[in-house]
Amino acid sequence: MNINFLLPAVFMVVGLASLSSCEDEISNMSTAETEKDITGSWKVVQLTRNGEDLSQRLDLTDFRIDFNPDGTYTLADQLPFIADAPGTYRLSDPQYPFALILTPEGVQEDVVARFQFPVVKGKRQLSLSFSLGCESNSYQFNFERENQDL
Amino acid sequence: MKRAKNTLLYFYLVLGLFATMFLVHCGLTALTVTVPEQATVNERVTFVMHSGAEPRIEEPGTYTTQLLAGIMVPKSWNARANAVLTFTSPKGNGTMRMIPDSEIEPVSGVSWHQAAKNMFGIGPNLVDDFEWIVYRSTQSYTFRNNEDISFDVNVECNVGEENMLVRLGFYVGSSIENLRPEDTDYKKVAFSRVFEVTGGEGDLIDFVNPQLATVQPVRSLDNDIITLTFDAGVAHTVLDNQDAIYVTIQCFDEDGQLLAEVNEQTDKTRLTSIGGKRFLLDFWPRKYFNLERNQRIARLEYFCTDASGTQRVGYGNTEAPFTYTFRCQ
Repeated sequence: MNINFLLPAVFMVVGLASLSSCEDEISNMSTAETEKDITGSWKVVQLTRNGEDLSQRLDLTDFRIDFNPDGTYTLADQLPFIADAPGTYRLSDPQYPFALILTPEGVQEDVVARFQFPVVKGKRQLSLSFSLGCESNSYQFNFERENQDL
Repeated sequence: MKRAKNTLLYFYLVLGLFATMFLVHCGLTALTVTVPEQATVNERVTFVMHSGAEPRIEEPGTYTTQLLAGIMVPKSWNARANAVLTFTSPKGNGTMRMIPDSEIEPVSGVSWHQAAKNMFGIGPNLVDDFEWIVYRSTQSYTFRNNEDISFDVNVECNVGEENMLVRLGFYVGSSIENLRPEDTDYKKVAFSRVFEVTGGEGDLIDFVNPQLATVQPVRSLDNDIITLTFDAGVAHTVLDNQDAIYVTIQCFDEDGQLLAEVNEQTDKTRLTSIGGKRFLLDFWPRKYFNLERNQRIARLEYFCTDASGTQRVGYGNTEAPFTYTFRCQ
């Protein structure tokens, strides 16, 4: 009778103790979002204009951009892009960026692209949206890192 | 025992049949629209959508929803800023409010306006410079079984300052049904007959009639990526039996000075066949013409040619070139 009464009580105490220890663990766990690292050489894998996919119709081989660790970027070949010259780049926020801000050489004003950093089919993509000519036309460039191993 | 099983099976079959009939008969009635034949530029015009509800609900259940209405109009009308939608019905009259861009249509995961554009497209129009705008009644309405009503949605809108031929799009729906692709009962769409806007300056923008050659997007600058389309099925031309179509093209600046010319029959100028006697070429004008940084193209003039470059087709199948003006407004 005593055992029947004691055993559940012991289980309960142990259970509660482990619960509270779980809480400690959770509260001590680091939940800081990692800083987004976009350094590397990126090539365009998909290009849409006003939602229409042009990837198969345009030759995208030369569509590349390099983000260097020293905060500079370079454009490979001529690319229809918000900037037509190399310069410096920064993200709107290191952890939760919503925009990529470029400062091309010889240009007074910064140029801004909407930034997303999804993983698609196991590969990290850099997705930039902006207008090139008229504001009514929106383009989305999806880049993949060259030689990336994820 | 077996008889009981059979009876049960028949019971379910009949129940299923009733349920199907019940579903089929529920929803909105077909949408018709009253649209005037023409208007002058900047005129404020009223379009009227006519539809109705036919609720078939098992008593004592009710169906509570908000009315949705959408319009598809040329972007140049700036309808987001100046269109006003109201509705009249036996259950009450009211004003409709544009659904905010930030609100996501649950089925598609994009805004209601984009979801409508993706689902309904541009209807019978051939050139896309349209936006769908979706509105919702501010109040909810509760329906009982067989409470059939007719309702009208009035759209007041300015028609912009461009001459055009266009077929406008209209939609009515029920807010709680969202925009499900498979649903045919709670979303009704109609496109108007040809509506003409006259009295403005500049060329007529023809959204409706097939044209030999077009450039998309309708509004762009030389830093956009543009698509040149040739539709050989529109008229009999000297290129009728050609399966390789090329373009010969010149670009001019603001002052009408020739900036550059591409006159060759190579891969650079060859249009790709997309079937149905249609051909297209995508290019980025700034690179295509190797422009200097300070040069700006204002206008293109082009002909479509055969592989030899001798047989060529111009605007309206004449010797005049097709033209395209770069502009955003």
